[in-house]
Amino acid sequence: MTTPASASVNRRTFLNLVGLGVAAAGTGGLLAGCGEKATQGGATQNLDKLAGLVPEHRPLALNIKPDVLSTRPVPDGYTTFPSALTDAITDQPGAGGQPIRAMTPVWGPAPPSGAKNAYLVAVNAELGTPVEFSVQDGMTYADKLGAVLGARDVPDLLCVPDWEVEKLPRFSDAVNALFEDLTPYLQGGNVAGYPMLATLPTGAWRNACWNDRLMAIPNPTDGPFPLALFYRKDLLDKLSLTYPRTIDELFEVGKQVTDPGKGVWAFDDIFQMVQMFHKAPGSKEGWRLRADGTPEHKYETPEFRQAVEFMIKVYRAGMVHPDLMASKGADAKQLLQGGKILFKQDGLGMWQPMQAEQQQVTKGFSVQPVPVFSATGGDPLVWGDDDPISYTFVKKGLGKARVEEILRVINWCSAPFGTEEFQLREFGAEGTHHRRAGGGPVKTELGFSEIQNQYFFISGRTPVLQPTPQTPTFVKEALAYSNAMVRFMEKDPWDGLKFEMPARFKAQVVPITDKITDILRGRRPIADLDVVVKEWRSSGGDEARELLGTALSDAGR
Amino acid sequence: MTSGPALDAPPAEPKPATPAPVPRRRRAPIRARLRRDWPMLVMVLPGVLLLFVFHYLPMLGNVVAFQDYNPYLGDSPLRALLESPWVGLGNFQVLFADPAFWDAVWNTLSITAFQLVFFFPLPIALALVLNSVLSRRLRGFVQTVVYLPHFFSWVLVVTFFVQMLGGAGLLSQELRQAGITPPEIMTNPDTFLVLVTAEAVWKDLGWGTIVFLAALSTIDTHLYEASAVDGAGRWRRTWHITLPGLRPVIVLLLILRLGDALSVGFEQFLLQRDAVGRQAAEVLDTFVYHQSIATGDYGFGAAAGLFKAVVGLVLILVANRLAHAFGENGVYSRS
Repeated sequence: MTTPASASVNRRTFLNLVGLGVAAAGTGGLLAGCGEKATQGGATQNLDKLAGLVPEHRPLALNIKPDVLSTRPVPDGYTTFPSALTDAITDQPGAGGQPIRAMTPVWGPAPPSGAKNAYLVAVNAELGTPVEFSVQDGMTYADKLGAVLGARDVPDLLCVPDWEVEKLPRFSDAVNALFEDLTPYLQGGNVAGYPMLATLPTGAWRNACWNDRLMAIPNPTDGPFPLALFYRKDLLDKLSLTYPRTIDELFEVGKQVTDPGKGVWAFDDIFQMVQMFHKAPGSKEGWRLRADGTPEHKYETPEFRQAVEFMIKVYRAGMVHPDLMASKGADAKQLLQGGKILFKQDGLGMWQPMQAEQQQVTKGFSVQPVPVFSATGGDPLVWGDDDPISYTFVKKGLGKARVEEILRVINWCSAPFGTEEFQLREFGAEGTHHRRAGGGPVKTELGFSEIQNQYFFISGRTPVLQPTPQTPTFVKEALAYSNAMVRFMEKDPWDGLKFEMPARFKAQVVPITDKITDILRGRRPIADLDVVVKEWRSSGGDEARELLGTALSDAGR
Repeated sequence: MTSGPALDAPPAEPKPATPAPVPRRRRAPIRARLRRDWPMLVMVLPGVLLLFVFHYLPMLGNVVAFQDYNPYLGDSPLRALLESPWVGLGNFQVLFADPAFWDAVWNTLSITAFQLVFFFPLPIALALVLNSVLSRRLRGFVQTVVYLPHFFSWVLVVTFFVQMLGGAGLLSQELRQAGITPPEIMTNPDTFLVLVTAEAVWKDLGWGTIVFLAALSTIDTHLYEASAVDGAGRWRRTWHITLPGLRPVIVLLLILRLGDALSVGFEQFLLQRDAVGRQAAEVLDTFVYHQSIATGDYGFGAAAGLFKAVVGLVLILVANRLAHAFGENGVYSRS
């Protein structure tokens, strides 16, 4: 289970890269005259009120015990594979109907499709009704989603990653027009026919509601943190340096390792982490409450300003790799792997796959996260949420029998760790896609190329951190980090509320981000930050504040 | 738009090459013409069909420029088109009132103007040089080498420049070895115009020569022989035979380039946006991408697209008229 983790935790970097937003800027007073421009006002959904819509939670009794117990929303971890697997689903889920068409994301090379992929053949044989995947590049998945939704040409099953949702304009309208309302099938006790779906946490289900109906199957998160600051431990050790524990140490170590003559720089763009170190708020993409209870965006906080000032220093001192400053096409991961940068901000999902791959390339390769510290004293602040990784939507108007068949297929794909179904879904057929070694399955080369989370992205399951035989210490290290950090996870004042931000607010995201980048890179003076924030306020920021404020008072908080 | 139809500019000089031997202006009846021309008509049919399906039909979609288009209204995409609220010129008003839009237009036009002067003539020069290379093998080799970058994606081209000229690139490392502080080439907004033009030249210079080489091959070699006999040197031959031979193609491409004045590429600018900032790198296409495609406000994007198309059309018509005035055929002429 590699990519989904990186997917779930990559969202902020990703948003940064691509830019998010919705609908045009209406410039208010300038619009008078012969035309008018409708503006969309945004919407709030109070998920607490949806308690009646979601399925009853019924955990599955499995004969396995986790080796590392975690504080939720951090998942439990297993260091060994269970010796005996449970056959959780005895009936064949599919009724032998038409193939189910599905669209899912993949990062990296696309796996073979259809009959050319022995893994799909093996799982489809179990399902009874084959699932035909159209696998799309994860980096440009939002573009593809936009086209598919806009053309109203959706497949039977559509995977929508959580971090793409806010990039999809009028998404509630799209959901309403294109997808089946799953409430009658799964509400309350109705979920009994799909016991694997009944194991999913209630919080994840609440997030799968749109327009006050249950519209999708959630894929619960396996890690609540969007970002961490990674460092090359092996290289720092070689220089007899250690990871920074204060903001001054971060700057100092950055200065010490930067050596342009050798082609080595300290950082990639670490601005998000710098904001986190300075305790800028991160809830709902950057909001918190002031003492008087009114919402405040990070741009307006002194913490953000301090972070900007620090980052200007970093850029001015030339600690960020020039390739990354010159082109968005530069590959920061490659630079970290090659030792050309020593620190990189990324999702936790980067960790295990990079370690597993690179330790075979570079002797002693070791990448570790820097524990989040506070730049200004007191406890650190760690951004995080337990929103699902992705949602699976069912096309509207397929008919009751077909929807039930599809839900049974999803149910099969949702079997948790410790079941035979999970084993097949995750590791394919024994002998072909994996061999048994050291008490667990080890993927073969064919397994790596053919198994790319296809079924993972049309289902959901109780998340666990499963053993990673190639990196035996990973589970313990990752959970030690996560469980240490979860104590400092930011409390989201709007927890349980879901927002669609006003169109004007979304439309200014890229322009304002551009202007802040100008300040960070020294193209505009820091004094301009006040001007930029003022612009942000008048071009949608205040509208968003009102939406968030009203939502809280409506929810009685 | 200009007041009169631009198409009826009379040719400045009567063409001696076509002495107009047909005295009767009356045309044959349509049935006779059909019988005569049907193989030609059948041959153009697939092209016309493609044009119709992929160009003319989608043009109808431009109607969303006057709507607050919501693709999810009604039961079908067509219903959505019909049911989306009409906002008249609302989208255009927002567009024209947005200073960021005019910034983008200005950037785009300055890049076009700069490249017209510093990029457009280069393929002609290269084609002339290539044409003068007599060794076929050498010429083929050079052509292959200069064509190749055209097939690289922009990500690759920009990466190549970063690796060569960037702060961690070859040039900077060499300069550092020599104890010189390397200049900022890739991240300097003031010289961005030169940088993008250099990238474009590197990528498409060779590709641009193809049309000119083809035109050169149609010039009658007897003309060169005759003029050589008359004692004309190399420069005279180039000036009096080669360049006039190329002139129709040059004018044609110039007009087409003018029609594209508001398109200067997209990926190249998206990739380097953070490096030099939006002030320097925002062009019309990236503006539309960020404010319309990425935000799903298709009406707004269609309005910007329509603006671009109208400007392009006007430029083509004006340029074509000018071409006629100078006795060229231009992109088309009245029969």
